[in-house]
Amino acid sequence: MDYLDRYREIVPDYVAFQAIQCLPLYNSARINTLKITREKLLERLKEEGVLFQSFHWYPLGLKLDIESPGKLLENLLGYIHIQEELSMVPPLVLGPEPGESVLDLCASPGSKTTEISQMMENRGLVVANEPSLARVAPLRSNCERLGAINVAITRYDGRNFPHGSFDRVLVDAPCSSEGRERRGPGVLSRCSPERSQDLQVLQIGLLKNALRLTKPGGVVVYSTCTYAPEENELVVQEALGEAEEFRLEKVCIPGLLECPGITEWNGKRLNDDLSCTARYYPHINDTGGFYVAKIIKN
Amino acid sequence: MSPRSSRIRNIFEPLDQSLIAKLWQDRFGIPEQAFAGCKFFRKARSIWAISDADLPRLSYETIGMRIMSCKDRPWKPTTSALQIFGRYAAKNLIHLNREEAMIFLEGGSRAIESDCEPGYVVVFYRGDVLGCGLYSHGKLVSQIPKERRMASTAGSEACSD
Repeated sequence: MDYLDRYREIVPDYVAFQAIQCLPLYNSARINTLKITREKLLERLKEEGVLFQSFHWYPLGLKLDIESPGKLLENLLGYIHIQEELSMVPPLVLGPEPGESVLDLCASPGSKTTEISQMMENRGLVVANEPSLARVAPLRSNCERLGAINVAITRYDGRNFPHGSFDRVLVDAPCSSEGRERRGPGVLSRCSPERSQDLQVLQIGLLKNALRLTKPGGVVVYSTCTYAPEENELVVQEALGEAEEFRLEKVCIPGLLECPGITEWNGKRLNDDLSCTARYYPHINDTGGFYVAKIIKN
Repeated sequence: MSPRSSRIRNIFEPLDQSLIAKLWQDRFGIPEQAFAGCKFFRKARSIWAISDADLPRLSYETIGMRIMSCKDRPWKPTTSALQIFGRYAAKNLIHLNREEAMIFLEGGSRAIESDCEPGYVVVFYRGDVLGCGLYSHGKLVSQIPKERRMASTAGSEACSD
């Protein structure tokens, strides 16, 4: 846990941040409106005596007071999808519309892919890219179970995804996953600044290519579930460079408290507009940890 | 089979919508309109359906959902596809009670009285489509894929983030 000390200066109420890492995260799920309405699903859960609570910021998100929500018939039939609360944020920031063309560059296991598909009401196209063959299986299985039929899967290295002109691109990048400590204790023991530096090279490559693949006027969302500035603000700053072609838009989900992206790290000044990006800390909303940046291509 | 056939080349080839819709109409009485807004592809011996949109020229691993297999005769619908299109079925469907549904979801088989024609059927429980069953000689055999069965759900949470 001492590893987190490097964030002492940037995390508000650091003691509470450190303390909550030991508290396991509740189970949560998203209602899949491709297969059922919210009203019908809630009615079923009540009938079965499953205790739940809707997220106050997102009516399709549920906290489930049940040990193995994966075993619910509603999950088997694809009426719900077990998904961490903050994992539902990046697609909402991306804001896909029915009929659009969307690329999910790092798609597996497909929680965000299927949320995007649901927001698009199964119309238009979601290209879900996942280079690893082993990780294509859960991606495909989740798309099929949830009835997402506007999804086509590709297997490119995201840095070399060849061409396209997408309305929106999501880069939910591979990261050190520090924000997942409450889900799987021990995550932090594998983290180090060196590892973050290594991941940064990959993340910059992915984001740069995503910016290239987006049509003018389009939106790119970059997200990670980590706190390391090397994998967050520094990636966004490096990928955007000096180009005037891109601008950052403020990330704000009503009902969910975000902290602004940092503009200084290790004594080095960063671009001021990185404060438009959002850091979500576990002790502030009782969630995991996430970072989200929204970029508009002019 | 010609050497240029998709069964050998293993690529996605577009298919005529009415051709596929007719098969589902004949077997399940599903109206063609149920497939409006979808287009179909064949790859090897499987048929895939995807929402009608322009597909950029890319190398695809999957296109939409695998909806049927033509590997054997008769053709077999997938459970995933029946969970979407099966609710429009007018024939060759079976409604189960709770006990029968649990056996079906666990991948089991069970004697059922039904006037269905032998072959693949749409299986319902309390208005939900559970998936694909094989009905013959008074017996219903579950065709639910292993990873979607009731008993094997422990791993499903690992597929989420």
